[in-house]
Amino acid sequence: MTTNQTRHRRWALPLAGFGALVVLSGCAKDAPQDTWQPAGDNARKIDNLQQPVFMIAGLVLVIVAAVVGYCVFKFRDKGQAIPQQSHGKPALEIALTIIPALILVGIGIPTVNTLFKLAKTSDTQCVVNVTGQQWWWEYDYPVQDGCGGISAPIVTSGQLVIPAGQKVLLRISSRDVIHSYWIPKLNGKRDAVPGRVQTLRLQADQPGIYAGQCTEFCGLSHAYMRMEAVSLDAAGFKSWVENQLAPYEAPAAGSTASQGEALFVSQCSRCHQVNGILGADGTPVISRPDKYVYSGAVPNLTNLMTRTTFAGAAYDLMTQDCKTALWNTPSAQFSAKYLEGVSPECLDTVQLRQWLRNAPAKKPMYADPAKLVETGGKYRGMPNLGLTEDQIDKLISYLTERK
Amino acid sequence: MFTTGSKLFIGATTLAVVGALIFGITQSDSKLGTIGLVSAAIALVFLMGINFWVRDSNVSPTDTAALTTAPASHEAPPRSMWPMVAALGVALIPVGLVVGRAITWMAVIVILVATVEWMVQSWSERASADSAYNASIRKRIMHPLELPVLGALGLGLIIFSFSRIMLRLPAAAGAIAFGAVASIVLLFGSLLAAKRTVGRSVVGTLCTIGAVGIIGFGVTSAIAGGREIVKHEIPSFAEGTCGTEHGEADHNASRAIALKSNLAATIVLQNGTLHADVIGVIGAKTTITLGRSTNSYIRFVNLDDDKHRLVADLGVDEVNINGTATKVPQQSCTQAVGKDGAQFLVLRPTRPSFSSTTPFTLSVPGVDSTITIEVP
Repeated sequence: MTTNQTRHRRWALPLAGFGALVVLSGCAKDAPQDTWQPAGDNARKIDNLQQPVFMIAGLVLVIVAAVVGYCVFKFRDKGQAIPQQSHGKPALEIALTIIPALILVGIGIPTVNTLFKLAKTSDTQCVVNVTGQQWWWEYDYPVQDGCGGISAPIVTSGQLVIPAGQKVLLRISSRDVIHSYWIPKLNGKRDAVPGRVQTLRLQADQPGIYAGQCTEFCGLSHAYMRMEAVSLDAAGFKSWVENQLAPYEAPAAGSTASQGEALFVSQCSRCHQVNGILGADGTPVISRPDKYVYSGAVPNLTNLMTRTTFAGAAYDLMTQDCKTALWNTPSAQFSAKYLEGVSPECLDTVQLRQWLRNAPAKKPMYADPAKLVETGGKYRGMPNLGLTEDQIDKLISYLTERK
Repeated sequence: MFTTGSKLFIGATTLAVVGALIFGITQSDSKLGTIGLVSAAIALVFLMGINFWVRDSNVSPTDTAALTTAPASHEAPPRSMWPMVAALGVALIPVGLVVGRAITWMAVIVILVATVEWMVQSWSERASADSAYNASIRKRIMHPLELPVLGALGLGLIIFSFSRIMLRLPAAAGAIAFGAVASIVLLFGSLLAAKRTVGRSVVGTLCTIGAVGIIGFGVTSAIAGGREIVKHEIPSFAEGTCGTEHGEADHNASRAIALKSNLAATIVLQNGTLHADVIGVIGAKTTITLGRSTNSYIRFVNLDDDKHRLVADLGVDEVNINGTATKVPQQSCTQAVGKDGAQFLVLRPTRPSFSSTTPFTLSVPGVDSTITIEVP
């Protein structure tokens, strides 16, 4: 065996392994953020565009790589004399200009057409305001006739709940830095820019959960800034809206949850809002996150246990078994299953307890006061409140009832 | 044994020593003169030693090889300005330490530039015996650095000078001057393009005259100062200008705003009625939803005949004034604009609207129509 053959064999195995890895990575089954598996009309428009574009681009890549490879191998330096150099081949140059131009025009026409279709807002059936901040997403549903009718504003976070089959328009903005909203199975990305309102259409074919994450680097915990879009059938969405607007129910007097409520008012309500909660003097407690947090907002916890995630959807409120069961629920039964919320049996108290014990240890948030000089002492995330285990028990008991 | 040059310095040294002795004895009150003369003597001894060592750089008439090897047989290198520039930089450092940090930094930059230039020039002069080659090699190294920097500095100076001229001229004359200069540049460029045989010297001279003219006028304008720019008062509720009355700020209000896209809402006054156009929401609305603690940009368009302003009422909030929590109405407004005029307002409600006893609204003084603001 010659030295060259040995050298080629040494390279062949790693190259084949790498190629196999690349090909097999496309076969991942559990890929909730797979943009190649559209689950809605808008994502399907993108998919219908990207499939032929990728095929054309792939074909061009193969042709160019083959020609370059052939030339490199065929005309490699073997000590031969340099051939006569020539300049200018008008016919070839014109052809090599016109062919790529035609390819680009061929790709450009359907691309522009798709862009216009994705930017359409005149057929909106439901509007949701989406606001990004370090490092979570807030969703507020304005009063509207759409979405089956919403009579008072609704605020939630972490999980965007939408009616299946309806054309939902997200009005996206940001409170601090630029973020980017992306639910790959439902549509492309849209930047959330402070002071600007940008729109993004979403439409889910079937009830279910669709995962996404922030795709614009936005600081320390960018990787923890996730989101989930939850699609419910029409009746399920109506129930969800009614539940979100239902009056506040205080815990039974003397219960652990009641003690948790008092603790919530003293410790948490400076930033976190629970609609309808009353202070010791009987007046509504209004949180003022703008005084303590740089972005000026923190998640509203009124109906915490109706959603299945917390901390910017970085962690699940449900245990892994319950989560798997929910995600795998068939579309027909999904809405009813989701509307059950997080039951005490399904609540992952370990995660929630760790969060309440020391939030910055679970999700980096510049919580050290020494690092808050640039923000005028305001936090960017939840600090360690130094709660005792007894206080955490009471808070969890109270929060478990927020459904 | 002693060369002519060294003899001269020996004599001068002796004179300095004698002078120092006489001055020291006769003028015992003042030591400064003695110190000066002794210093001069030391310097002269040093120079005498150098002359003695190099034999006055004389070449012996019998040394024929010296005709090509002696330094005197070589073409003298051109005079260098960099030592002088470096000296200027050094002199600027103490000035900068007294006057301001900017001058110190400028001095440091001058010294660094002079050092690099001086080193490269010194090196290039020794690169070969051919002075033309030496000059070319210096250009090859330094021109890629010098030309862009000098070009940028020159351009910056011309732009800065032009800006001073524009600030000095009255607003109307500024537009004319700008058009005139642009026309001259266009005409000059067109002539050059049409007549390609124009000599470089002619082009260079014209450009120089133009540049010197602009810089000269710029310096004059900078010294004379800018024209008086009238600052208009900004309306605010605290000054009681959010009502139906119109002040100076309203008379001078801009009628057009550039910000037209991606707004939270556009509020239109038409036929005495307000309605809101919201991106993504179909149809005109009388209720808008604004995010809490978010800057929301609101555009106000007046389609009615009279001058009107938009007023935002966001309830009453506690504000820290001199350490005391004081309840202050959260009200702000635009300037008043006439028919087809537009203004914009930035709102950042910090409390939910349900926390207020009065609704959050947008209204126009004198017009019986409101837009309700919901803050979730």
